[in-house]
Amino acid sequence: MPAVAITGLGAVTALGGDVPALAAGLAEGRCGIGPLTLFAHAGRSTLAAQVPEPAAGIARALPRATARRLSRADRFALAAAGEACRSAGLTPELQRAAALYVGATTGGMRESEEVYRRRRAAEERRFRLSRLLGTPLATHAAVVSQALGLFGPRATFSTACSSSALAIGAAAAAVRDGRARIALALGTDQLCRLTYAGFDALQALDVEPCRPFDRERRGLSLGEGAAALVLEDAAHARARGARIRALVLGDATTTDAHHVTAPHPDGAGALRALVAALAAAGVPPEAVDYANAHGSGTRQNDAVEVAVLRAVFGRRLARLPVSSTKSQVGHCLGAAGAVEAVATVIALEQGLLPPTMNLRTPEWPDLDFVSSAGRRAPLAVAVTSSYGFGGHNVTLVLGRAESGR
Amino acid sequence: MDRSAVRAEVKELLATGLRLDRPASEILDDSPIFGEGLGLDSIDALELVVLVEERFRVAIPDEDVGRRAFATVNALVDFIMSERTR
Repeated sequence: MPAVAITGLGAVTALGGDVPALAAGLAEGRCGIGPLTLFAHAGRSTLAAQVPEPAAGIARALPRATARRLSRADRFALAAAGEACRSAGLTPELQRAAALYVGATTGGMRESEEVYRRRRAAEERRFRLSRLLGTPLATHAAVVSQALGLFGPRATFSTACSSSALAIGAAAAAVRDGRARIALALGTDQLCRLTYAGFDALQALDVEPCRPFDRERRGLSLGEGAAALVLEDAAHARARGARIRALVLGDATTTDAHHVTAPHPDGAGALRALVAALAAAGVPPEAVDYANAHGSGTRQNDAVEVAVLRAVFGRRLARLPVSSTKSQVGHCLGAAGAVEAVATVIALEQGLLPPTMNLRTPEWPDLDFVSSAGRRAPLAVAVTSSYGFGGHNVTLVLGRAESGR
Repeated sequence: MDRSAVRAEVKELLATGLRLDRPASEILDDSPIFGEGLGLDSIDALELVVLVEERFRVAIPDEDVGRRAFATVNALVDFIMSERTR
């Protein structure tokens, strides 16, 4: 079975418009959560991790009419996908055969909301139906494959906040079983009224920037953005002289089948995902050097997640660095799994432990949550988990390129 | 409404009605509306027909008339002027 290499990365987050900006923000311990200014919201929360408008980039390869109708989430996706393929050194010929797997949850929802708002506010006399073309979730994959010339297998996953972690798993599977030698995994989502008002109505949003694992944590901070990873048969990557940034050692997905929003109280599904991913990777728990947590900052998630980590890593958990990238880029929903996978690759590559920001009083003082300063440490194996509403659990096991696996 | 006023309104309709990537002032009188000219596609065509019919109270009964009327800005102005004086 081919080993799965990661040869390209792309990211558009509140820390900046590309991977170097994300890496710098992670290393500097910057928090991208600030005032919500994209749209008016009359509720409890006033914060979000907003992303500045990305440069046109590969969107220029699209027909002008198509480019004009792109949603913000499409533009995030194009920027991240373009950066990933560029950094992997993919030629048009290599891209032609590549697979594309996308995770997303709201598509062009924000633009659709604008259509209805304008009509309702009588700013426009009729519904502008062309502005609804970005609504279907599959639009992201359509515009990305058109702009990059990807003609291989293609699918879109929507499993709430684990969508793009699942897309990475699908891309890894396609490379492993030989359906594609190169597969682009992508996550994208934008802030919109629906998700913002929905999470606020659930009282799931912290009124302060989210504080994962803190005793005073009150919920998550919503973010937006996109991230992309080029997965490739490692032998193929070596043969063409590509730089291998990291390896996908294993992945697993399980289901809670328990509740529409709450995680299973025992974390049974999340536990099975972590155990199965390690087994698929052939990695014993004691070989894991870093856990990039789902760490949403809600009362329930963090408690369940710590219990899951404790069940797998036992007493060693005291010496296992754990952090939540959501404390820096917010919860990017459909993009979260991919953003955090990219952050984990950066951690492996640079020997960097990204911090958990805003954490003042850990609820579990025996754990090593990596303080706001971040830290340097050589890492060989890391796990990153994503848990979606409705009980969609995904864990990925990633390894440093030269970890010898 | 005279010809130059109709032409200005047509350009404004194109630029803001379709939210083109350029201002009305940059739309040329004789550049093709579809294809390479303004980069409009078939979805824009549908919206433009409705916008023109609503704004100028004219009817575009079929594709042949549409194809002729929407060739260029000048052609569209000609069509609107002739329909309105009818």
